[in-house]
Amino acid sequence: MSGLLIILAAFFLPLFPASLVFNRLAAGTTNPFARLALFIVWPQIGVALILWGDLAPAGTVLATWATLSAIFYAFRMLTVREVGRWAAMLASSAWPLVWLFVMQGPSGSDLIAFTLAMTVAPVLMLLVRDALARRLEAAYTGLRGGLARDLPRLSGVIAVVTLAAMALPLFPGFFALLAVLSGATLGVAIGILLTWLLWSWAGARLLQGTIFGPRSGPIADDLPRSTTWLVAGLVVVMVAAGLIWTGGAV
Amino acid sequence: MIELQWLIPLLPFLAALLVHLLGGRMGKRVARLSVGINLLVVVIAAFQLTAYIAGDTGPQWMGLANGWGSLQLDPLSAIMALVVSGISLVVHIYSIRYMIEEPGYGRFFMLLDLMTGSILLMVMAGDLITLLIAWHLIGVVLYFLLAHNTEPPNAQRYAFWTFITYRLGDLPLVLAAVILFQAYGVLDFPTLFERIAESPDVRTFMNLPVTGTVAFLVALSAFAKSAQFPFHTWLPYTMEGPTPVSALMHAGIVNAGGIIINRFAPVFVHSGEILHLLFVVGLVTALIGSVLMLTQNDIKKSLGYSTMGQMGFMIMETGAGAFALAIFHLIAHGLFKGTMFLGAGNVIGAARKHDGVPNDPLYDFLVERKSAPARLPWLIIGAVTLIVPLVILVMAHAWVAEDFFQKQGAIVLLFFGWITGVQVLFATHRLDSENPVRMMALIILSFALIVVGYSFVGHSFETFLYPDAAFRDSLYSAAGIDAVTFDMLVILLALIVVLGWMGAYLTNVRRQRVDEGHGNARLTLYSLFSREFYVADVYDRMTVTLLDFSKRLNVWLKWS
Repeated sequence: MSGLLIILAAFFLPLFPASLVFNRLAAGTTNPFARLALFIVWPQIGVALILWGDLAPAGTVLATWATLSAIFYAFRMLTVREVGRWAAMLASSAWPLVWLFVMQGPSGSDLIAFTLAMTVAPVLMLLVRDALARRLEAAYTGLRGGLARDLPRLSGVIAVVTLAAMALPLFPGFFALLAVLSGATLGVAIGILLTWLLWSWAGARLLQGTIFGPRSGPIADDLPRSTTWLVAGLVVVMVAAGLIWTGGAV
Repeated sequence: MIELQWLIPLLPFLAALLVHLLGGRMGKRVARLSVGINLLVVVIAAFQLTAYIAGDTGPQWMGLANGWGSLQLDPLSAIMALVVSGISLVVHIYSIRYMIEEPGYGRFFMLLDLMTGSILLMVMAGDLITLLIAWHLIGVVLYFLLAHNTEPPNAQRYAFWTFITYRLGDLPLVLAAVILFQAYGVLDFPTLFERIAESPDVRTFMNLPVTGTVAFLVALSAFAKSAQFPFHTWLPYTMEGPTPVSALMHAGIVNAGGIIINRFAPVFVHSGEILHLLFVVGLVTALIGSVLMLTQNDIKKSLGYSTMGQMGFMIMETGAGAFALAIFHLIAHGLFKGTMFLGAGNVIGAARKHDGVPNDPLYDFLVERKSAPARLPWLIIGAVTLIVPLVILVMAHAWVAEDFFQKQGAIVLLFFGWITGVQVLFATHRLDSENPVRMMALIILSFALIVVGYSFVGHSFETFLYPDAAFRDSLYSAAGIDAVTFDMLVILLALIVVLGWMGAYLTNVRRQRVDEGHGNARLTLYSLFSREFYVADVYDRMTVTLLDFSKRLNVWLKWS
């Protein structure tokens, strides 16, 4: 029974090749709200399965599989240009790390918090995807670069969200990674660090394809001031939540 | 007193926030706000340093809560806070006019404040996580500062190189922190270092010693941040960023490696092999940096490689056990290099107005290569050149510390001092002068003053930074090697250096062209230098291959 539950959970906390299902589903969901809901709910189903089945997955094979899945999707993110797919691959790279955290025997609330911390950046990136698609007709990096000069508010939001995607301080992903690293073995720790490095590389490429580069001219309206403040508020809340959570996580 | 320490990193962060929020309303005047707050930071840092020296409290530590979020006030943090905030203030003031016509004026000052806050947090961090946060932030903010002008492709390209190298340097420190936390169960530095001193032989993954493994990882981190070979390619290429950023980078940010090694001195003291590694990597970096500096035809890249060479020396000093000297070196180099960058515009401006270069003896000697018709006898000069610097150095160091010559690291530094002194006399004895004896006497007097002054200041600085004499001796002792091997190495190096001088002298006497003889070997060597040892090319090829592979995987899996 527990083996079956673990295989089922591997679709929701995606391990390759089960992760193909989530990525196809994410690519096929066109409604922005449905896509947001998918990103938030999908990994929590995996967490619910683990908590419901009182699963205690362990073993080198599962740890290696999760680590390799994380590295594999982080590596593939390097050449993804559609921001929606980029967000899905980021999620497919971040969520396997939940398995490594589970192996450290955390409490149920810590597990949920950890998964949410790993979900924050992909969800924020979906918002960026929609903002870009609404203005530029398509959310492709490299299609219209140099947004920094002409759409400064949108560029600021893209930069902040990308930093969150790279799991840099003080975003929740940073503390979540420290939490999972604090109980990792050497091989797993190196795998996690490699994943982290690849996120940074992919994030920098995303920034170079959007906000940096020769200016495109006044191609669209910038993000409204109120929306920018809303996103800023959201980010502050997430950072604060991450800081409060780390009191018990590290 | 420690409560006041919080203001030092927090005020620049506050300045960044205010600059961002008030930028629209205040316009260009927002820079004055930033400068004002940074001036306050310098005043507080100066007060803290003075109070620390005057008081008798010793190092202090204060945390916000249990876990992480703490600062410390110790000699290293006190002195570095003043240096960093001081250099940052000068850069701020310089930028007020320099950046006035650049787009994103307010953003630039915001980033400058964020950078100042991050570096100050790094030097004062009281626990592993606070240090990691600051360590990460430095790389991120530097990326945005270097890419401040968002349009030129080269600026973006090299900002990216810097960012990815800094990320490479971030991650070993994370692993080091994880290992320390797993082994000793604490995050704050005072307790951590206490426990390390009590039980330095704790083992970690694969039964490796914790101290050695952590020292190795910290060294890797330092190599990336301080542009050590082969992680150096970002440094000479980052001149596309604004000049004030170059000044701040070369005067402050690139020194992070030396600071972090000093911060983890209680770990390095148990890791002799890693100190040897630091020495070798520093030496290789110093050599390569200096050689590439001499072969560049681009003045900015040349300055970049000069910094790389200096960073090599700094790391080499830590490898010799002279941790305090590395800090002394990075402060001196920071002030010197910062001045060069900030003064470069004025020099260019002056050169445009007065195209006639002053025609004095020094110019004739250095540029026109005209030496004096009347010189002192070569035998006297040879003896003076080889012996006088050694005598001055030995006497000066014996004066400040009698046991100086018991330490191998000190001998190494003395050796480099001797070479430098000989080079100075060797290079200047042919300077045209009406009275060659008086000129030589003046040169020797200047050299003696510099050495004595430096020895005194250096020794006082070392005593301030590491007041525990036993700990200072342990650092030198950890960096030591077998006495016979050491002596053999010193003799071998001395022979190589002396043979090099003789070769240079004979070439000069015979008036040989530099490229005569050994044509192919010289050409190959020059190709290597001019292509900067192909390091950047190798990285480029690796990047292209990896990206191509990633793309193929995505196509094969239909982007799912």
